[in-house]
Amino acid sequence: METAQQNLEPATDIPHDNRYYLNMGPQHPSTHGVLRVLLEMDGEYVIDPQPVLGYGHRMQEKMAEHKNWMAFMPNTGRMDYAAALPYNHGYVALFERICGIEVPARAEYIRVITSELNRIVSHHLWIGAMLLDMGAFTPILYTFDDREQVLDILEDVTGSRLTYCYFRVGGVCKDIDDNFVEKTRAFIKRQRERFDVYNKLVTGNIIFIKRTEGVGVISLDMARRYGVTGPVLRGSGIAYDVRKNEPYSVYPKFDFDIPTGQNGDSYDRYLVRLEEIEQSLRIIEQALDQLPDGPFLAKVPKKLKMPTGDSSFAVEAARGELTYYLVSGGGDIPYRLKIRVPSYSNLSVLPELCQGMLLSDLVAAMGSMDLVIPEIDR
Amino acid sequence: MHPATEKLVTALSEQSIVLNECDYAERGYHFEIDLDAGRLREFAQCMLEQEMYLVFVGGLHVDPAIEIIYQFASYDRLCRLVLRVVVDSNNAIPTISDIYQGANWHERETRDFYGVIFIDHPNLVPLILAEEDVDLKPLLKNSDNIKESAAVRWVTVEEQPETDEKADTD
Repeated sequence: METAQQNLEPATDIPHDNRYYLNMGPQHPSTHGVLRVLLEMDGEYVIDPQPVLGYGHRMQEKMAEHKNWMAFMPNTGRMDYAAALPYNHGYVALFERICGIEVPARAEYIRVITSELNRIVSHHLWIGAMLLDMGAFTPILYTFDDREQVLDILEDVTGSRLTYCYFRVGGVCKDIDDNFVEKTRAFIKRQRERFDVYNKLVTGNIIFIKRTEGVGVISLDMARRYGVTGPVLRGSGIAYDVRKNEPYSVYPKFDFDIPTGQNGDSYDRYLVRLEEIEQSLRIIEQALDQLPDGPFLAKVPKKLKMPTGDSSFAVEAARGELTYYLVSGGGDIPYRLKIRVPSYSNLSVLPELCQGMLLSDLVAAMGSMDLVIPEIDR
Repeated sequence: MHPATEKLVTALSEQSIVLNECDYAERGYHFEIDLDAGRLREFAQCMLEQEMYLVFVGGLHVDPAIEIIYQFASYDRLCRLVLRVVVDSNNAIPTISDIYQGANWHERETRDFYGVIFIDHPNLVPLILAEEDVDLKPLLKNSDNIKESAAVRWVTVEEQPETDEKADTD
């Protein structure tokens, strides 16, 4: 008996270390693209998670310095592939402001409608993918069904399904028609009915709640030190949204709320995004009701010269604050274009946020950030 | 002006930091600041105390030296400011990654793209570029297309120079 008990005590005299390194990615399914997280592990606990970036790096900022600024337009849709239209929006709005171009009211409405549709699509994708990360296969089938409805609507007017290049300086490249309006209204009605399905399938799902509640809590102080924005920030109870705080386009004309969470955990970030779909629907509904007639594209000189100097334009992308910071030396090629993308700053909290977590909680915390890797890598 | 913004302006003036007020409607931010590298950390500390968050850190290669651009903004009011700091003769500048941890990645990225050394950075290894591309510095301008620092500074519309076609050709 005595010998057996002795054997149960840890063998302190033998050097033993449970630490090991685990590579999550770059082809791991829950990293959504080519992100690698180098995990220092102790058993099932994460000691130090360090994201390794750059697998999808294309040096977009260098490309911007090498061509006429209008020619960079398609690139803007190739960073955040899940919600490209806000990227279009920030870019054209920046040049419209510095070059003093008036955008017709109808064009601004179309921009808001399509951007919000794009935001909904992005949140659909996220809800499906997040649940898939955590082992729930079914929700993505429902969200993708809904997502397809919107993609069809957007495809009709933009000509593409994913990497949109729809906005132009002075407006948009194609007008929306009655068919678009009709289909969008039908989608709004359909989506409102679908929330019930989401709630039954996900929101009240005890496994989902247990996996996400209290996981990955981001405090206000942490958010500020890292520059966290978007639904990840709003989940922590901070109602910061560029559409409200720094209004652009015709957003001030619409009545909508900024949903916020209370605890700042993964579950709150889910609730925030779910509510944001409803708020986007409200914006679209109002915009369709008020949609003015008139031109959809202003007459813009073929060769536009940028004024010398720097300027900045921020928009609310689906993942948070997107800022284009332009430095111009005159002419029509940007001297420098810094693109501040939301996922980059959001992901940078990961080492501090997930230290000491179980590996499965890291998946729930990282999944709730809604990462788009080509946006981070640019 | 928002009371918190006034407080920020006062706090910076007390440290005798000169703020240039900008026309937000033209440029999308409210204040621009040029600062010596030696005062950068003190400035960042002040930003944190004034509850500003870090938007981004980026580089700008101009003649005579690389400038590092910092943008800060606020979660609760409309206030955005841009800070420019010129690197020293060794292409070095102090890190602020211990004050704003988010700067850690931005500084690593800036080192990738410009080769700027952030003094006392805890982990200044390539982030975006591959390790073998450590000396690539892709955003450095060459002698043909580099501009003077003053040539990329904001000038009001009335002061805009006449169109210079030569400068535009690639």
